[in-house]
Amino acid sequence: MTTAQSSQSTHVAGAAPRAAGMASSSTAQRWRGFSNLLPALLFLGLFFLAPLIGLLMRGVLEPSLGLGNYEQLFANSAYTRVLLNTFSVAGLVTVISLLLGFPLAWAITLVPRGWGRWLLNIVLLSMWTSLLARTYSWLVLLQASGVINKTLMAMGIIDQPLEMVHNLTGVVIGMSYIMIPFIVLPLQATMQAIDPMVLQAGAICGASPWRNFFRVFLPLCRPGLFSGGLMVFVMSLGYYVTPALLGGAQNMMLPEFIIQQVQSFLNWGIASAAAALLIGITLVLLYFYLKLQPESPVGASNAR
Amino acid sequence: MLLTPNAMGPRLRIGLYLTTGLIALFLLLPIVFIVLLSFGSSQWLVFPPPGWTLKWYEQFFANPEWMASVLTSLKVAVLTTLCAVALGLPTAFALVRGRFPGRELLYALFTLPMIVPLVIIAVAVYALFLKLGYTGTLFSFVVSHVIVALPFTIISIINSLKLFDQSIEDAAVICGASRMQAVYKVTFPAIRPGMVAGALFAFLVSWDEVVLSVMMASPTLQTLPVKMWTTLRQDLTPVIAVASTLLIGLSVLIMVIAAALRRRNEVSA
Repeated sequence: MTTAQSSQSTHVAGAAPRAAGMASSSTAQRWRGFSNLLPALLFLGLFFLAPLIGLLMRGVLEPSLGLGNYEQLFANSAYTRVLLNTFSVAGLVTVISLLLGFPLAWAITLVPRGWGRWLLNIVLLSMWTSLLARTYSWLVLLQASGVINKTLMAMGIIDQPLEMVHNLTGVVIGMSYIMIPFIVLPLQATMQAIDPMVLQAGAICGASPWRNFFRVFLPLCRPGLFSGGLMVFVMSLGYYVTPALLGGAQNMMLPEFIIQQVQSFLNWGIASAAAALLIGITLVLLYFYLKLQPESPVGASNAR
Repeated sequence: MLLTPNAMGPRLRIGLYLTTGLIALFLLLPIVFIVLLSFGSSQWLVFPPPGWTLKWYEQFFANPEWMASVLTSLKVAVLTTLCAVALGLPTAFALVRGRFPGRELLYALFTLPMIVPLVIIAVAVYALFLKLGYTGTLFSFVVSHVIVALPFTIISIINSLKLFDQSIEDAAVICGASRMQAVYKVTFPAIRPGMVAGALFAFLVSWDEVVLSVMMASPTLQTLPVKMWTTLRQDLTPVIAVASTLLIGLSVLIMVIAAALRRRNEVSA
Protein backbone atom coordinates (compact mmCIF):
# COMPACT_ATOMS: atom_id res chain seq x y z
CA MET A 1 0.00 0.00 0.00
CA THR A 2 2.74 2.39 0.91
CA THR A 3 4.73 1.81 -2.24
CA ALA A 4 1.64 2.40 -4.32
CA GLN A 5 1.10 5.60 -2.42
CA SER A 6 4.60 6.85 -2.90
CA SER A 7 4.69 6.06 -6.59
CA GLN A 8 1.41 7.87 -6.93
CA SER A 9 2.84 10.84 -5.10
CA THR A 10 5.75 10.87 -7.51
CA HIS A 11 3.27 11.00 -10.30
CA VAL A 12 1.31 13.89 -8.87
CA ALA A 13 4.46 15.73 -8.01
CA GLY A 14 5.59 15.37 -11.58
CA ALA A 15 2.22 16.31 -13.01
CA ALA A 16 2.62 19.90 -11.96
CA PRO A 17 4.17 21.49 -15.00
CA ARG A 18 5.08 25.05 -14.45
CA ALA A 19 5.49 26.02 -18.07
CA ALA A 20 3.30 29.07 -18.30
CA GLY A 21 1.06 30.35 -21.02
CA MET A 22 -0.69 27.15 -21.94
CA ALA A 23 -3.46 27.34 -19.36
CA SER A 24 -6.81 28.15 -20.86
CA SER A 25 -8.26 29.83 -17.82
CA SER A 26 -6.47 31.80 -15.16
CA THR A 27 -8.32 29.96 -12.38
CA ALA A 28 -6.92 26.66 -13.50
CA GLN A 29 -3.48 28.21 -13.54
CA ARG A 30 -3.81 29.60 -10.07
CA TRP A 31 -4.91 26.32 -8.60
CA ARG A 32 -2.33 24.26 -10.45
CA GLY A 33 -0.43 22.04 -8.08
CA PHE A 34 -3.14 22.15 -5.48
CA SER A 35 -4.04 18.53 -6.16
CA ASN A 36 -0.66 17.55 -4.70
CA LEU A 37 -1.93 18.78 -1.37
CA LEU A 38 -5.03 16.64 -1.39
CA PRO A 39 -3.71 13.40 0.12
CA ALA A 40 -2.18 15.09 3.14
CA LEU A 41 -5.11 17.48 3.46
CA LEU A 42 -7.57 14.62 3.39
CA PHE A 43 -5.51 12.72 5.95
CA LEU A 44 -5.25 15.63 8.36
CA GLY A 45 -8.88 16.59 7.90
CA LEU A 46 -10.09 13.09 8.60
CA PHE A 47 -7.79 12.10 11.44
CA PHE A 48 -6.75 15.39 13.01
CA LEU A 49 -9.12 18.29 12.37
CA ALA A 50 -12.40 16.37 12.53
CA PRO A 51 -11.56 14.60 15.81
CA LEU A 52 -10.20 17.85 17.25
CA ILE A 53 -13.38 19.74 16.42
CA GLY A 54 -15.41 16.78 17.64
CA LEU A 55 -13.56 16.86 20.94
CA LEU A 56 -14.01 20.58 21.40
CA MET A 57 -17.74 20.29 20.63
CA ARG A 58 -18.23 17.83 23.45
CA GLY A 59 -17.41 20.55 25.95
CA VAL A 60 -20.57 22.44 25.08
CA LEU A 61 -22.74 19.41 24.22
CA GLU A 62 -22.09 16.98 27.08
CA PRO A 63 -23.75 16.28 29.42
CA SER A 64 -26.16 19.03 28.34
CA LEU A 65 -26.02 21.90 25.89
CA GLY A 66 -24.43 24.99 27.36
CA LEU A 67 -21.33 26.35 29.03
CA GLY A 68 -21.80 24.30 32.20
CA ASN A 69 -18.42 22.59 31.84
CA TYR A 70 -16.59 25.87 31.54
CA GLU A 71 -18.39 27.25 34.58
CA GLN A 72 -17.40 24.18 36.56
CA LEU A 73 -13.80 24.49 35.43
CA PHE A 74 -13.56 27.90 37.08
CA ALA A 75 -15.98 27.35 39.97
CA ASN A 76 -14.80 24.02 41.38
CA SER A 77 -11.85 24.70 43.66
CA ALA A 78 -10.19 21.37 42.83
CA TYR A 79 -10.21 22.33 39.15
CA THR A 80 -8.98 25.86 39.69
CA ARG A 81 -6.11 24.44 41.69
CA VAL A 82 -5.12 22.39 38.64
CA LEU A 83 -5.16 25.55 36.51
CA LEU A 84 -3.16 27.50 39.05
CA ASN A 85 -0.70 24.67 39.43
CA THR A 86 -0.24 24.35 35.67
CA PHE A 87 0.70 28.00 35.37
CA SER A 88 2.95 28.11 38.41
CA VAL A 89 4.88 25.00 37.36
CA ALA A 90 5.26 26.29 33.80
CA GLY A 91 6.41 29.67 35.12
CA LEU A 92 8.88 28.16 37.56
CA VAL A 93 10.28 25.82 34.94
CA THR A 94 10.70 28.71 32.50
CA VAL A 95 12.60 30.83 35.01
CA ILE A 96 14.90 28.01 36.12
CA SER A 97 15.68 26.82 32.61
CA LEU A 98 16.42 30.43 31.60
CA LEU A 99 18.80 30.82 34.56
CA LEU A 100 20.60 27.57 33.72
CA GLY A 101 20.46 27.98 29.96
CA PHE A 102 21.91 31.50 29.94
CA PRO A 103 25.43 30.73 31.19
CA LEU A 104 25.59 27.66 28.99
CA ALA A 105 24.63 29.59 25.86
CA TRP A 106 27.07 32.33 26.82
CA ALA A 107 29.94 29.90 27.30
CA ILE A 108 29.20 28.11 24.02
CA THR A 109 29.42 31.47 22.26
CA LEU A 110 32.73 32.53 23.68
CA VAL A 111 34.85 29.42 24.21
CA PRO A 112 37.10 28.23 21.35
CA ARG A 113 35.15 26.49 18.61
CA GLY A 114 36.13 22.94 19.49
CA TRP A 115 34.93 23.29 23.06
CA GLY A 116 31.78 25.03 21.94
CA ARG A 117 31.04 22.16 19.58
CA TRP A 118 31.34 19.70 22.48
CA LEU A 119 29.08 21.72 24.75
CA LEU A 120 26.55 21.98 21.94
CA ASN A 121 26.75 18.23 21.39
CA ILE A 122 25.98 17.64 25.06
CA VAL A 123 22.93 19.86 24.74
CA LEU A 124 21.80 18.04 21.59
CA LEU A 125 22.42 14.61 23.12
CA SER A 126 20.28 15.51 26.09
CA MET A 127 17.58 16.84 23.77
CA TRP A 128 17.54 13.76 21.54
CA THR A 129 17.64 11.21 24.32
CA SER A 130 14.34 9.45 24.87
CA LEU A 131 12.10 11.47 27.16
CA LEU A 132 11.10 8.38 29.11
CA ALA A 133 14.71 7.34 29.65
CA ARG A 134 15.58 10.73 31.10
CA THR A 135 12.51 10.86 33.29
CA TYR A 136 13.15 7.34 34.58
CA SER A 137 16.70 8.34 35.40
CA TRP A 138 15.53 11.30 37.44
CA LEU A 139 13.01 9.12 39.20
CA VAL A 140 15.82 6.82 40.34
CA LEU A 141 18.23 9.67 41.13
CA LEU A 142 15.76 11.64 43.21
CA GLN A 143 14.04 8.86 45.15
CA ALA A 144 14.38 8.65 48.94
CA SER A 145 17.06 5.93 48.71
CA GLY A 146 18.61 7.49 45.60
CA VAL A 147 22.14 8.69 45.00
CA ILE A 148 21.44 12.34 45.66
CA ASN A 149 19.86 11.74 49.04
CA LYS A 150 22.58 9.21 49.97
CA THR A 151 25.33 11.63 49.02
CA LEU A 152 23.80 14.54 50.89
CA MET A 153 23.34 12.35 53.95
CA ALA A 154 26.88 11.01 53.78
CA MET A 155 28.16 14.57 53.59
CA GLY A 156 26.16 15.36 56.69
CA ILE A 157 24.14 18.09 55.03
CA ILE A 158 20.82 16.41 55.84
CA ASP A 159 19.81 13.74 58.39
CA GLN A 160 16.69 12.56 56.66
CA PRO A 161 16.16 11.92 52.98
CA LEU A 162 14.61 14.88 51.19
CA GLU A 163 11.35 14.18 49.43
CA MET A 164 12.15 15.07 45.86
CA VAL A 165 9.80 12.89 43.82
CA HIS A 166 6.04 12.76 43.58
CA ASN A 167 5.88 16.41 44.46
CA LEU A 168 6.52 19.85 43.02
CA THR A 169 10.31 19.60 43.42
CA GLY A 170 10.47 16.49 41.26
CA VAL A 171 8.35 17.98 38.50
CA VAL A 172 10.32 21.22 38.44
CA ILE A 173 13.73 19.49 38.40
CA GLY A 174 12.69 17.00 35.71
CA MET A 175 11.00 19.53 33.49
CA SER A 176 13.67 22.24 33.79
CA TYR A 177 16.19 19.61 32.80
CA ILE A 178 14.21 18.75 29.69
CA MET A 179 13.64 22.40 28.74
CA ILE A 180 17.26 23.68 28.99
CA PRO A 181 18.11 22.77 25.35
CA PHE A 182 15.10 24.73 24.12
CA ILE A 183 16.53 27.82 25.84
CA VAL A 184 20.16 27.25 24.86
CA LEU A 185 19.60 26.79 21.12
CA PRO A 186 17.73 30.05 20.32
CA LEU A 187 19.69 32.04 22.91
CA GLN A 188 23.01 30.85 21.57
CA ALA A 189 21.96 31.85 18.05
CA THR A 190 21.10 35.33 19.33
CA MET A 191 24.40 35.69 21.20
CA GLN A 192 26.37 34.46 18.21
CA ALA A 193 24.94 37.34 16.21
CA ILE A 194 25.97 40.02 18.69
CA ASP A 195 29.02 41.97 17.55
CA PRO A 196 31.67 41.74 20.34
CA MET A 197 32.77 45.24 19.33
CA VAL A 198 29.55 46.66 20.75
CA LEU A 199 30.49 45.35 24.18
CA GLN A 200 34.04 46.58 23.72
CA ALA A 201 32.66 49.99 22.92
CA GLY A 202 30.66 49.90 26.13
CA ALA A 203 33.82 49.11 28.08
CA ILE A 204 35.84 51.79 26.35
CA CYS A 205 33.15 54.33 27.13
CA GLY A 206 33.74 53.53 30.77
CA ALA A 207 30.98 51.08 31.61
CA SER A 208 31.89 48.69 34.41
CA PRO A 209 31.50 44.99 33.57
CA TRP A 210 28.30 44.94 35.64
CA ARG A 211 26.85 47.91 33.85
CA ASN A 212 27.97 46.56 30.50
CA PHE A 213 26.27 43.27 31.26
CA PHE A 214 22.93 44.70 32.34
CA ARG A 215 22.73 47.70 30.04
CA VAL A 216 24.27 46.29 26.85
CA PHE A 217 24.65 42.52 26.80
CA LEU A 218 21.35 41.52 28.38
CA PRO A 219 19.20 43.83 26.22
CA LEU A 220 20.94 42.46 23.13
CA CYS A 221 20.13 38.92 24.26
CA ARG A 222 16.48 39.77 24.84
CA PRO A 223 15.11 38.32 21.57
CA GLY A 224 16.66 34.93 22.33
CA LEU A 225 15.62 35.01 25.97
CA PHE A 226 12.15 36.00 24.97
CA SER A 227 11.55 33.45 22.23
CA GLY A 228 13.19 30.64 24.19
CA GLY A 229 11.32 31.48 27.36
CA LEU A 230 7.95 31.77 25.69
CA MET A 231 8.46 28.51 23.82
CA VAL A 232 9.42 26.71 27.01
CA PHE A 233 6.43 28.16 28.84
CA VAL A 234 4.06 26.99 26.11
CA MET A 235 5.63 23.53 25.97
CA SER A 236 5.53 23.22 29.75
CA LEU A 237 1.80 23.95 29.82
CA GLY A 238 1.16 20.96 27.57
CA TYR A 239 3.60 18.44 29.09
CA TYR A 240 2.21 15.15 30.27
CA VAL A 241 4.88 12.47 30.72
CA THR A 242 7.25 14.12 33.17
CA PRO A 243 4.62 15.59 35.53
CA ALA A 244 2.72 12.32 35.50
CA LEU A 245 5.78 10.33 36.57
CA LEU A 246 7.65 12.78 38.79
CA GLY A 247 4.70 14.68 40.24
CA GLY A 248 2.24 13.72 42.91
CA ALA A 249 -1.53 13.72 43.05
CA GLN A 250 -1.33 17.04 44.87
CA ASN A 251 0.11 18.97 41.95
CA MET A 252 -1.66 17.71 38.90
CA MET A 253 -1.33 19.78 35.73
CA LEU A 254 -3.87 20.34 32.96
CA PRO A 255 -2.68 17.61 30.55
CA GLU A 256 -2.78 14.96 33.28
CA PHE A 257 -6.17 16.26 34.36
CA ILE A 258 -7.54 15.89 30.82
CA ILE A 259 -6.35 12.30 30.50
CA GLN A 260 -7.61 11.41 33.96
CA GLN A 261 -11.06 12.82 33.21
CA VAL A 262 -11.22 10.82 29.97
CA GLN A 263 -9.75 7.53 31.14
CA SER A 264 -10.85 7.27 34.75
CA PHE A 265 -14.05 9.29 34.98
CA LEU A 266 -15.26 9.19 31.35
CA ASN A 267 -16.13 12.84 31.87
CA TRP A 268 -15.59 14.00 28.29
CA GLY A 269 -17.39 17.31 28.85
CA ILE A 270 -14.99 18.68 31.42
CA ALA A 271 -11.98 17.19 29.61
CA SER A 272 -13.06 18.94 26.45
CA ALA A 273 -13.49 22.26 28.23
CA ALA A 274 -10.01 21.91 29.75
CA ALA A 275 -8.61 20.98 26.32
CA ALA A 276 -10.22 24.05 24.75
CA LEU A 277 -8.70 26.23 27.44
CA LEU A 278 -5.26 24.70 26.91
CA ILE A 279 -5.44 25.14 23.13
CA GLY A 280 -6.70 28.70 23.54
CA ILE A 281 -3.85 29.71 25.83
CA THR A 282 -1.29 27.97 23.61
CA LEU A 283 -2.51 29.70 20.46
CA VAL A 284 -2.63 33.14 22.08
CA LEU A 285 0.92 32.77 23.42
CA LEU A 286 2.20 31.51 20.08
CA TYR A 287 0.55 34.43 18.36
CA PHE A 288 2.59 36.77 20.55
CA TYR A 289 5.66 34.67 19.88
CA LEU A 290 5.29 35.05 16.12
CA LYS A 291 4.26 38.68 16.40
CA LEU A 292 7.30 39.70 18.45
CA GLN A 293 9.80 37.55 16.64
CA PRO A 294 10.74 39.79 13.66
CA GLU A 295 11.22 42.81 15.89
CA SER A 296 14.39 41.40 17.36
CA PRO A 297 17.07 44.08 16.82
CA VAL A 298 19.88 41.55 16.51
CA GLY A 299 17.98 39.27 14.18
CA ALA A 300 17.16 42.20 11.93
CA SER A 301 20.69 43.54 11.75
CA ASN A 302 22.08 40.07 11.34
CA ALA A 303 19.83 39.23 8.43
CA ARG A 304 21.91 41.41 6.16
CA MET B 1 34.68 42.24 26.18
CA LEU B 2 31.90 40.14 27.61
CA LEU B 3 32.17 38.07 24.45
CA THR B 4 35.95 37.95 24.20
CA PRO B 5 37.25 35.57 26.88
CA ASN B 6 40.70 37.11 27.16
CA ALA B 7 39.41 40.59 27.81
CA MET B 8 36.84 39.36 30.26
CA GLY B 9 38.80 39.43 33.46
CA PRO B 10 39.90 36.18 35.08
CA ARG B 11 37.33 36.14 37.86
CA LEU B 12 34.32 36.45 35.60
CA ARG B 13 35.81 33.99 33.11
CA ILE B 14 36.57 31.31 35.66
CA GLY B 15 33.18 31.82 37.28
CA LEU B 16 31.41 31.38 33.96
CA TYR B 17 33.43 28.32 32.97
CA LEU B 18 32.81 26.71 36.33
CA THR B 19 29.06 27.33 36.16
CA THR B 20 28.98 26.02 32.61
CA GLY B 21 30.88 22.90 33.61
CA LEU B 22 28.37 22.21 36.37
CA ILE B 23 25.40 22.73 34.05
CA ALA B 24 26.96 20.48 31.42
CA LEU B 25 27.43 17.82 34.10
CA PHE B 26 23.81 18.29 35.12
CA LEU B 27 22.78 17.66 31.50
CA LEU B 28 24.93 14.53 31.27
CA LEU B 29 24.16 13.17 34.73
CA PRO B 30 20.90 11.29 34.11
CA ILE B 31 22.13 9.91 30.78
CA VAL B 32 25.43 8.56 32.09
CA PHE B 33 23.76 7.41 35.28
CA ILE B 34 21.17 5.30 33.51
CA VAL B 35 23.75 3.66 31.25
CA LEU B 36 25.92 2.73 34.26
CA LEU B 37 22.89 1.50 36.18
CA SER B 38 21.90 -0.89 33.40
CA PHE B 39 25.17 -2.77 34.07
CA GLY B 40 24.84 -2.60 37.87
CA SER B 41 24.04 -5.78 39.74
CA SER B 42 21.67 -4.27 42.30
CA GLN B 43 17.98 -5.02 41.93
CA TRP B 44 17.24 -1.92 44.02
CA LEU B 45 19.31 0.37 41.82
CA VAL B 46 21.88 1.04 44.51
CA PHE B 47 24.59 3.38 43.28
CA PRO B 48 27.48 2.87 42.98
CA PRO B 49 26.46 -0.71 42.23
CA PRO B 50 27.98 -3.51 44.31
CA GLY B 51 29.04 -5.31 41.12
CA TRP B 52 28.73 -5.29 37.36
CA THR B 53 26.56 -7.67 35.39
CA LEU B 54 24.80 -8.26 32.09
CA LYS B 55 21.87 -10.10 33.66
CA TRP B 56 19.39 -7.26 33.06
CA TYR B 57 20.31 -7.35 29.39
CA GLU B 58 19.70 -11.11 29.39
CA GLN B 59 16.36 -10.57 31.09
CA PHE B 60 15.43 -7.88 28.60
CA PHE B 61 16.27 -9.95 25.53
CA ALA B 62 14.79 -13.15 26.95
CA ASN B 63 11.47 -11.57 27.81
CA PRO B 64 8.94 -12.07 24.99
CA GLU B 65 6.90 -9.04 26.09
CA TRP B 66 9.82 -6.64 25.81
CA MET B 67 10.85 -8.18 22.50
CA ALA B 68 7.31 -7.93 21.14
CA SER B 69 7.20 -4.26 22.13
CA VAL B 70 10.50 -3.59 20.33
CA LEU B 71 9.13 -5.28 17.23
CA THR B 72 5.88 -3.30 17.40
CA SER B 73 7.85 -0.07 17.84
CA LEU B 74 9.95 -0.88 14.78
CA LYS B 75 6.92 -1.76 12.67
CA VAL B 76 5.06 1.38 13.70
CA ALA B 77 8.09 3.62 13.19
CA VAL B 78 8.88 2.21 9.72
CA LEU B 79 5.26 2.47 8.56
CA THR B 80 5.00 5.97 10.01
CA THR B 81 8.16 7.03 8.20
CA LEU B 82 6.92 5.66 4.86
CA CYS B 83 3.50 7.27 5.19
CA ALA B 84 4.89 10.60 6.40
CA VAL B 85 7.30 10.83 3.45
CA ALA B 86 4.64 9.68 0.97
CA LEU B 87 2.21 12.32 2.22
CA GLY B 88 4.79 15.00 2.91
CA LEU B 89 6.59 14.92 -0.43
CA PRO B 90 3.69 16.05 -2.67
CA THR B 91 2.59 18.50 0.02
CA ALA B 92 6.01 20.14 0.13
CA PHE B 93 6.04 20.39 -3.70
CA ALA B 94 2.62 22.02 -3.68
CA LEU B 95 3.49 24.47 -0.93
CA VAL B 96 6.79 25.53 -2.48
CA ARG B 97 5.81 25.60 -6.16
CA GLY B 98 2.07 26.22 -6.11
CA ARG B 99 0.78 29.71 -6.70
CA PHE B 100 -2.73 29.18 -5.36
CA PRO B 101 -4.17 31.52 -2.74
CA GLY B 102 -4.10 30.64 0.96
CA ARG B 103 -0.74 28.90 0.90
CA GLU B 104 0.37 30.55 4.15
CA LEU B 105 -2.81 29.41 5.81
CA LEU B 106 -2.37 25.87 4.51
CA TYR B 107 1.22 25.85 5.71
CA ALA B 108 -0.01 26.89 9.14
CA LEU B 109 -2.58 24.11 9.01
CA PHE B 110 0.05 21.52 8.19
CA THR B 111 2.24 22.64 11.09
CA LEU B 112 -0.71 22.80 13.50
CA PRO B 113 -0.07 19.28 14.91
CA MET B 114 3.29 20.59 16.14
CA ILE B 115 1.56 23.34 18.08
CA VAL B 116 -1.52 21.70 19.55
CA PRO B 117 -0.49 19.99 22.81
CA LEU B 118 0.08 16.28 22.26
CA VAL B 119 -2.32 15.32 25.01
CA ILE B 120 -5.17 16.98 23.16
CA ILE B 121 -4.34 15.27 19.87
CA ALA B 122 -4.10 11.98 21.77
CA VAL B 123 -7.50 12.40 23.42
CA ALA B 124 -9.17 13.55 20.19
CA VAL B 125 -7.81 10.67 18.11
CA TYR B 126 -8.54 8.25 20.94
CA ALA B 127 -12.20 9.37 20.91
CA LEU B 128 -12.40 8.76 17.15
CA PHE B 129 -10.82 5.32 17.28
CA LEU B 130 -12.90 4.38 20.30
CA LYS B 131 -16.00 5.04 18.24
CA LEU B 132 -14.65 3.12 15.25
CA GLY B 133 -13.40 0.30 17.48
CA TYR B 134 -9.81 0.70 16.20
CA THR B 135 -7.99 1.23 19.49
CA GLY B 136 -5.18 -1.20 20.11
CA THR B 137 -4.51 -1.78 16.41
CA LEU B 138 -1.38 -1.15 14.39
CA PHE B 139 -3.47 1.17 12.23
CA SER B 140 -4.32 3.46 15.16
CA PHE B 141 -0.65 3.68 16.17
CA VAL B 142 0.51 4.54 12.67
CA VAL B 143 -2.24 7.08 11.98
CA SER B 144 -1.70 8.93 15.25
CA HIS B 145 2.07 8.96 14.78
CA VAL B 146 1.83 10.19 11.19
CA ILE B 147 -0.22 13.18 12.40
CA VAL B 148 2.64 14.43 14.58
CA ALA B 149 5.48 13.28 12.29
CA LEU B 150 4.08 14.91 9.14
CA PRO B 151 4.98 18.55 10.02
CA PHE B 152 8.63 17.58 10.58
CA THR B 153 8.78 15.77 7.25
CA ILE B 154 7.05 18.58 5.35
CA ILE B 155 9.32 21.25 6.85
CA SER B 156 12.52 19.29 6.11
CA ILE B 157 11.52 18.66 2.50
CA ILE B 158 10.36 22.26 2.00
CA ASN B 159 13.71 23.53 3.28
CA SER B 160 15.72 21.55 0.77
CA LEU B 161 13.24 22.12 -2.05
CA LYS B 162 13.56 25.87 -1.56
CA LEU B 163 17.32 25.59 -2.00
CA PHE B 164 16.93 23.66 -5.23
CA ASP B 165 17.04 25.77 -8.36
CA GLN B 166 14.07 24.71 -10.44
CA SER B 167 15.65 25.81 -13.68
CA ILE B 168 17.84 22.70 -13.47
CA GLU B 169 14.70 20.59 -13.62
CA ASP B 170 13.42 22.74 -16.51
CA ALA B 171 16.71 22.22 -18.31
CA ALA B 172 16.18 18.46 -18.12
CA VAL B 173 12.73 18.93 -19.63
CA ILE B 174 14.12 21.09 -22.42
CA CYS B 175 16.70 18.39 -23.08
CA GLY B 176 13.85 16.00 -23.73
CA ALA B 177 12.95 14.45 -20.41
CA SER B 178 9.32 14.31 -19.43
CA ARG B 179 8.43 16.37 -16.38
CA MET B 180 8.04 13.19 -14.37
CA GLN B 181 11.41 11.88 -15.45
CA ALA B 182 12.99 15.22 -14.62
CA VAL B 183 11.47 15.30 -11.15
CA TYR B 184 12.43 11.72 -10.54
CA LYS B 185 15.95 11.82 -11.95
CA VAL B 186 16.99 15.40 -11.20
CA THR B 187 14.94 16.94 -8.42
CA PHE B 188 14.62 13.96 -6.09
CA PRO B 189 18.36 13.26 -5.93
CA ALA B 190 18.99 16.96 -5.33
CA ILE B 191 16.56 17.18 -2.41
CA ARG B 192 17.51 13.82 -0.97
CA PRO B 193 19.15 15.31 2.16
CA GLY B 194 15.83 16.94 3.03
CA MET B 195 13.95 13.73 2.36
CA VAL B 196 16.37 11.70 4.48
CA ALA B 197 16.23 14.25 7.29
CA GLY B 198 12.44 14.25 7.12
CA ALA B 199 12.37 10.46 7.23
CA LEU B 200 14.78 10.41 10.20
CA PHE B 201 12.64 12.93 12.06
CA ALA B 202 9.50 10.92 11.38
CA PHE B 203 11.18 7.74 12.56
CA LEU B 204 12.47 9.36 15.73
CA VAL B 205 9.16 11.05 16.53
CA SER B 206 7.35 7.74 16.19
CA TRP B 207 10.01 5.71 17.99
CA ASP B 208 9.99 8.02 21.02
CA GLU B 209 6.27 8.81 21.13
CA VAL B 210 4.72 8.16 24.54
CA VAL B 211 1.48 10.06 25.00
CA LEU B 212 -0.26 9.04 21.78
CA SER B 213 0.95 5.46 22.11
CA VAL B 214 -0.24 5.11 25.69
CA MET B 215 -3.71 6.13 24.56
CA MET B 216 -3.71 3.82 21.52
CA ALA B 217 -2.17 0.79 23.23
CA SER B 218 -3.95 -2.33 24.36
CA PRO B 219 -2.53 -4.91 26.77
CA THR B 220 -1.61 -7.06 23.78
CA LEU B 221 -0.22 -4.39 21.47
CA GLN B 222 2.36 -2.06 22.99
CA THR B 223 5.29 -0.10 21.66
CA LEU B 224 8.55 0.01 23.59
CA PRO B 225 7.79 3.36 25.28
CA VAL B 226 4.35 2.06 26.32
CA LYS B 227 5.92 -1.06 27.80
CA MET B 228 8.43 1.15 29.63
CA TRP B 229 5.64 3.39 30.83
CA THR B 230 3.46 0.61 32.21
CA THR B 231 6.45 -1.13 33.82
CA LEU B 232 7.64 2.15 35.29
CA ARG B 233 4.33 2.69 37.01
CA GLN B 234 4.66 -0.65 38.81
CA ASP B 235 8.30 -0.71 39.82
CA LEU B 236 11.67 0.73 38.85
CA THR B 237 13.32 -2.55 37.77
CA PRO B 238 16.80 -2.23 36.15
CA VAL B 239 15.35 -3.79 32.99
CA ILE B 240 13.95 -0.34 32.21
CA ALA B 241 17.51 0.97 32.47
CA VAL B 242 18.45 -1.54 29.76
CA ALA B 243 15.64 -0.32 27.51
CA SER B 244 16.68 3.28 28.22
CA THR B 245 20.32 2.54 27.41
CA LEU B 246 19.36 0.98 24.09
CA LEU B 247 17.23 4.05 23.30
CA ILE B 248 20.13 6.35 24.18
CA GLY B 249 22.39 4.30 21.92
CA LEU B 250 19.94 4.75 19.08
CA SER B 251 19.75 8.53 19.65
CA VAL B 252 23.53 8.77 19.53
CA LEU B 253 23.60 6.71 16.35
CA ILE B 254 21.01 8.93 14.67
CA MET B 255 22.87 12.06 15.80
CA VAL B 256 26.07 10.73 14.26
CA ILE B 257 24.26 9.91 11.00
CA ALA B 258 22.70 13.37 10.93
CA ALA B 259 26.07 15.01 11.56
CA ALA B 260 27.66 12.94 8.79
CA LEU B 261 24.87 13.94 6.39
CA ARG B 262 25.33 17.58 7.32
CA ARG B 263 29.05 17.40 6.76
CA ARG B 264 28.54 15.79 3.36
CA ASN B 265 26.07 18.53 2.46
CA GLU B 266 28.52 21.22 3.45
CA VAL B 267 31.20 19.60 1.33
CA SER B 268 28.96 19.27 -1.71
CA ALA B 269 27.49 22.75 -1.29
